Amino acid sequence: MLTNYLVNGPVSVNIISQFIENMSEMADAGGHSIFIGQVRNDEIKGKKVKAIEYSAYEGMVKIEADKIKKAILSEFGDTRSVEIIHSTGTVNAGEISLFVLVSSGHRHQAIEACRKAVEMIKEKLPVWKKEIFEDDSYEWRQNPQV
Amino acid sequence: MEVKVLFFGVLAEVTGTNCKYFRDVKSLGNLKLRIEDDFPEVVHYNFRISLNNELTDKDLLLNDGDEVALMPPFAGG
Repeated sequence: MLTNYLVNGPVSVNIISQFIENMSEMADAGGHSIFIGQVRNDEIKGKKVKAIEYSAYEGMVKIEADKIKKAILSEFGDTRSVEIIHSTGTVNAGEISLFVLVSSGHRHQAIEACRKAVEMIKEKLPVWKKEIFEDDSYEWRQNPQV
Repeated sequence: MEVKVLFFGVLAEVTGTNCKYFRDVKSLGNLKLRIEDDFPEVVHYNFRISLNNELTDKDLLLNDGDEVALMPPFAGG
């Protein structure tokens, strides 16, 4: 299992399938909810986004992601585990930059807890992104204030 | 005493560095002024400050070895 939450480049299908494979070890969970964030090829002022370059404050990502896990597990008592994987470096349009997996006893908490975890990641994880356009120009982006 | 200052996102770009050490700074307020002296362009950007991985908006006292980060609004996901 990855313990530091960050991978360089896109989150690979291989990483995701490892998490799915490991689900069978959690036989007391009846529902797993997955969120997959993908780089979108937005068109901004006539230019298409070809990739996003992520950077992160690695030490603080670990601390904040630990806090998010703890908060979710304490708010959703039926939840067994929360997994978070975020990209750093370059991720091309159509590739995966965020993977969140929440496992709970029952579906309602799995879905709700996953939704809440994603919102907290957007708000609290010290990660920055630069959108790179097809002509190699770029723009720094920020998440809308919650 | 010396503190380490990290610059992230657009701030790393406009300052041209990810990291700079500052000597003999008493507090975060004091440090902020020193940073603005060295990198006047940072005043045009919105950012929050963390001290040893904790966000703060207080004028805390600094100790040798502290790590301060200047962080523009987050953009994960």
